[in-house]
Amino acid sequence: MRPFEYERPSELAQATSLLAEYGPEARPLAGGTDLIIRLRDGSLRPRVVVDMKGIDELDGDIRDDDGYLRFGALTTMTDIAADSRVRRDYPALAESALFVGSVQIRNRATLVGNMCNASPAADTAPALLAYGALIVATGPSGTRHLPLEEFFVRSGVTTLARGELVVAIELPRPTSSRGSVHLRRTRRRGHDLASVTLACAVTPDGKTRIAYGSVGPRPVLAIDDSGRLADPSLPDTDKAGLLDRLFAGASPSPTSMRASPEYRLAMLRVLGLRGVKAAIDRLASAQAP
Amino acid sequence: MNVEDERGAAPRASGVGATAPRVGGLERVTGRQEYVADLPHADALRVKLVTVDAARARLKAIDTRSALAVPGVRLVLTAADLPRPMPRFGPQRRDRPVLADRETKYHGEPIAAVAAETVDAAEEAAGLVRVDYEELPAVHTIAGSLAPDAPLVQDPSLRPGDPLANSNVLREHRYGWGDVGAAEAEANVVIEGTYTFPMVTQFAIEPHAFMAAPFGDGIAIWSSIQHPYWLQRVIADLTELPLSKVRVFAPDPGGAFGGKQHAKYEPLLAFMARKTGRLVRLVLTLEETFQAVRRGAAQVRVRAGFRRDGTLVFRDIDANYLIGAYADIADRTVAKGSYTANGPYRVPAVRIVARSVLSHTVPSTAFRGFGNPQQIWAVESNMNEAARLLEIDPLELRLRNLPRPGEAFIPHETPADGDWAMAVSRAGEMIGWQQRPSDGRGRGIAVGLKSGPTTGLSYSTVRLLADGSVVIHAGTSDMGQGARTIFAQIAADELGAPLEWVTVVMGDTAVVPYDQQTSASRSSVLMGNAVLGACRDIQAKIRAMAVRLEGVPESDVTVDRGEVRLADRILPVRDVLVRGLGRLGGEVIGVGEARKEADPEHPLGGTSAFYEFNCTAVEVDVDRETGDVTVMRHVTVSDVGKALNPLQVRGQDEGAAVMGLGHTLMEHYILDEAGRIRNLGAIDYRIPTSMDLPMRMESDAIENADGPGPYGAKGMSEGALLPVAPAVAAAVCDATGVAVRELPLSPERVWKALHPSLARPLDPVEATPR
Amino acid sequence: MTNRRPLELTVNGRSRSIEVLAHHTLLDVLREDLGLTGTKECCLVGECGACTVLLDGHSVDSCLVLGVEADGASVTTVEGLAVDGRLSPVQRSFLETGAAQCGFCIPGQLVSAHALLTDAPHPTRAQVEEGLAGNLCRCAGYEQIIEAVLMAADAADADAIADDDLAARSARLRALGDRAATPDAELAPQ
Repeated sequence: MRPFEYERPSELAQATSLLAEYGPEARPLAGGTDLIIRLRDGSLRPRVVVDMKGIDELDGDIRDDDGYLRFGALTTMTDIAADSRVRRDYPALAESALFVGSVQIRNRATLVGNMCNASPAADTAPALLAYGALIVATGPSGTRHLPLEEFFVRSGVTTLARGELVVAIELPRPTSSRGSVHLRRTRRRGHDLASVTLACAVTPDGKTRIAYGSVGPRPVLAIDDSGRLADPSLPDTDKAGLLDRLFAGASPSPTSMRASPEYRLAMLRVLGLRGVKAAIDRLASAQAP
Repeated sequence: MNVEDERGAAPRASGVGATAPRVGGLERVTGRQEYVADLPHADALRVKLVTVDAARARLKAIDTRSALAVPGVRLVLTAADLPRPMPRFGPQRRDRPVLADRETKYHGEPIAAVAAETVDAAEEAAGLVRVDYEELPAVHTIAGSLAPDAPLVQDPSLRPGDPLANSNVLREHRYGWGDVGAAEAEANVVIEGTYTFPMVTQFAIEPHAFMAAPFGDGIAIWSSIQHPYWLQRVIADLTELPLSKVRVFAPDPGGAFGGKQHAKYEPLLAFMARKTGRLVRLVLTLEETFQAVRRGAAQVRVRAGFRRDGTLVFRDIDANYLIGAYADIADRTVAKGSYTANGPYRVPAVRIVARSVLSHTVPSTAFRGFGNPQQIWAVESNMNEAARLLEIDPLELRLRNLPRPGEAFIPHETPADGDWAMAVSRAGEMIGWQQRPSDGRGRGIAVGLKSGPTTGLSYSTVRLLADGSVVIHAGTSDMGQGARTIFAQIAADELGAPLEWVTVVMGDTAVVPYDQQTSASRSSVLMGNAVLGACRDIQAKIRAMAVRLEGVPESDVTVDRGEVRLADRILPVRDVLVRGLGRLGGEVIGVGEARKEADPEHPLGGTSAFYEFNCTAVEVDVDRETGDVTVMRHVTVSDVGKALNPLQVRGQDEGAAVMGLGHTLMEHYILDEAGRIRNLGAIDYRIPTSMDLPMRMESDAIENADGPGPYGAKGMSEGALLPVAPAVAAAVCDATGVAVRELPLSPERVWKALHPSLARPLDPVEATPR
Repeated sequence: MTNRRPLELTVNGRSRSIEVLAHHTLLDVLREDLGLTGTKECCLVGECGACTVLLDGHSVDSCLVLGVEADGASVTTVEGLAVDGRLSPVQRSFLETGAAQCGFCIPGQLVSAHALLTDAPHPTRAQVEEGLAGNLCRCAGYEQIIEAVLMAADAADADAIADDDLAARSARLRALGDRAATPDAELAPQ
């Protein structure tokens, strides 16, 4: 690994000013499960690594916060998968967190880090998109909230400004019952990078939110508010056509070695139908007396 | 002592036939087991290899100045620093250069090496070696290598007198018997198919590690090597030292699977140690191991003719193995894997042609199964397709064509040395073959046969110390198969010592007598017999002591299984030993030797010492929408002659089975169009995890004490890997009706087979070498 | 540029105070600076688990943790599993079931098993498979490794557990046609 400077600021302001000063030559470090791989393989060569874990204002807590469930910047996948509120109200997120790497990885990897890497295959991104997550970013010019779908640009690139840090992710509390699920495709059953990842959430008002990743430069959110997708009686053959319109944002890379574009697109359709069905079933059991 | 007694003897708690705890187990569960990378190396120079990002390149110039300027760098070795002509080595041909000679021939071939005081300095300097090179067209597929206009991988000057020197065929092997043309007329059904097997890699969790240092007036090498004595000879040749001045230390490898049989970078390190006068140390990254060792890919065309009743009348096999840029032991894997390609069947006419095809890829080498899994994948898949066509149960089809024990099935070769039908029937019983699986599931069965060592030589010395404890010297490498435990069990039994009183010394060529090699599942048989022989040698000396001490005639004394039996009583060996050694104490030394003689007339240089035979039956569930194959049940039955340690037999068989599932379901190198490996490393080369196991795994061993090893043992531990792929593919076909003839059976490949209209016919992304 | 930094940590109960380079991983520090070679190095990308250690009680891949990140932390390696020379239950059961073949992955397997059993003293077979999925064994002695963990968990009859569990594992697989989704009931705490 190439040498770099290591900073462990204790205040947020110090961190943001380091990031502002060094710009792309600084890399924030939280769990490190992606960063350290890239430091070693040389694809990232920062001058300074800024460790977030000493910052007083940042934590790994999951907090109820005025209509939101708020995940601190240091919240790990293990924490998320184990949290009873997440498992009850955001099961697709808990499921997706459980699919991030191995136990060892989940003990380090953070939800915020998973977003900031902006990998199209990020396991937790579709669930967060489906649940309407907000990114909370702090930088030299203050704190702002932005919807997750406005955060991703392409692999490795986000809309964060120079000096900005993501300090939390917020999920709006559900206002009604909801059925939701996370699905993915991999090359083996043991942990693997997803070749397709998808989350689906259905609400009693007939709205279906489907988010999918690993089939284009960034995870995509699509919404069906016709009520037809969420209709348990509509046959799959009809839903397939509806889904195809929602999947218009999919453009899998023809050069990936993990799966061919035609397989990814076909699996996106399979997961779409399975996801809708599972979400409808879960909604039904949530509404059952 | 007669044979009946041996077989009838009740197993002791820790003796032969018992599940004795692993010798070396305590070290392994406490972190105290020292592999090469764990040896003290504070003063070592760290070595980093320099490569170029191309499969094939002409080297124009190498500028080492910036690298040498890095503080702590002591040496940047290039071809210019080596003797001319370039020193070369290899177990079959001396074709592998110590460093690339003017042209790199595969992605990852080292062209220079840096030695520095720290890893950081070595890595930095390696990145600063400036290589001026021109990328050249590379061949990395069978078709590409065999094309008439293909560039030659090896310079014809390296192959003097070889009629194939102007092609990329390193060797063509032709075996067979009977008249295939005439037999074809007798066949009611002929079934033909072409089957492909991908490049896969050993992926030992211990990456290869090497050290070298000047040592007295000679040199010492530390290596995670399976064949330390072979390495000793290679280094002695290259350094022009006598064998006695080359000392090879070979700590237990952390997994080897064939990939650590032969010298790789030890010669390079020997030159660096001599140049610097220092201890030099190279621990490969996992990625670098992918560029050091792999299994040969293969494309095998099989034509087989059957009578309507399922009797095989001929088989015609044409195989191309894609080996790498240098021969290593790859051509031998082709020869040995193809010689028995017809499998364990009684067939009157067989024709086998197998070619070793050179390519600009990582040199392929030995890998568990040694050239057989590729052929078995093809021939057994073909057999299963025949069963479907003939509408004969595939288990029954095997039984109809298997030779009986003692029956010759390959002319001039060791006859069937086991009751193989028993193994097939056992597998069938275990999986409940007679009942159909539940809806949507499929069953498959296949057998695998592999010939054991064709030659061999192992020596052992065993020392019975004054207190009755035992030290065994055996040159086997214990790479996980548990050889130490087996040898200790044999000596404990024969000399009457508790297992904990036995120490097994291995891995030092200056101390331990010669052993040819640790390969072909030979060690329990060959070294086991040598250890047994050494124990018998000691027993003879104990017997002489007893005659002297007790004043009885020789005919009244026998020594067996730790006991001295007199006419009227039985004494422990230790009792006679202590009295016999007397006041000066000392020890009794036994020497054992086991040989498997060569046969120069034999196509392989010798007949098979034994066969490994396995029958595997599986049940799978196939998700037709995604192509996912789930192995619900996996039954594996090996004929082992005698399970010297049932716990270890199980571990070897079940481990081999899961390793087989790796190449069956997920493993393969992915090369780009220029021949570079795209999926270097653990992220995109997938091997089975604990979540990828069959839902239920069951193993069993056939024990008829009919092997040539101690107590009737045969070699084992490769067998359970051999038939996994054809068994799983047959089960997929049983479930879906679709035969897939290409590995791995990845979800995408199975999906494409199930949905040909949805998948485009040509897919550049999934381009596995073929 | 000097990036040498002081590092204070507790390793296997012993306080250590050293200086390390910021770009060296905890794995480097353990093996090279502290001479604790029981923790193994293989893939260096967090896939194989050979380098697994406990960091403040949580299992981590030490190849993906900078040494400096462990400042003030408590680290347990395979060398720290035995207490006063007495093997831990999981070390004993690994010996008993023949779980160690070549042995290279075993330190990582043991640390993962230790962490699993701390969190789930009576795991199901599925939990053991999941808990050890980050530790590759190329000898593929997984069956015996899993049995060892179940045995160490004081399971009365590992075979019975395996049988009972088969149905649950099948169900998990069949859920939605593959194991892409984990049914709610299976979302057990780690």
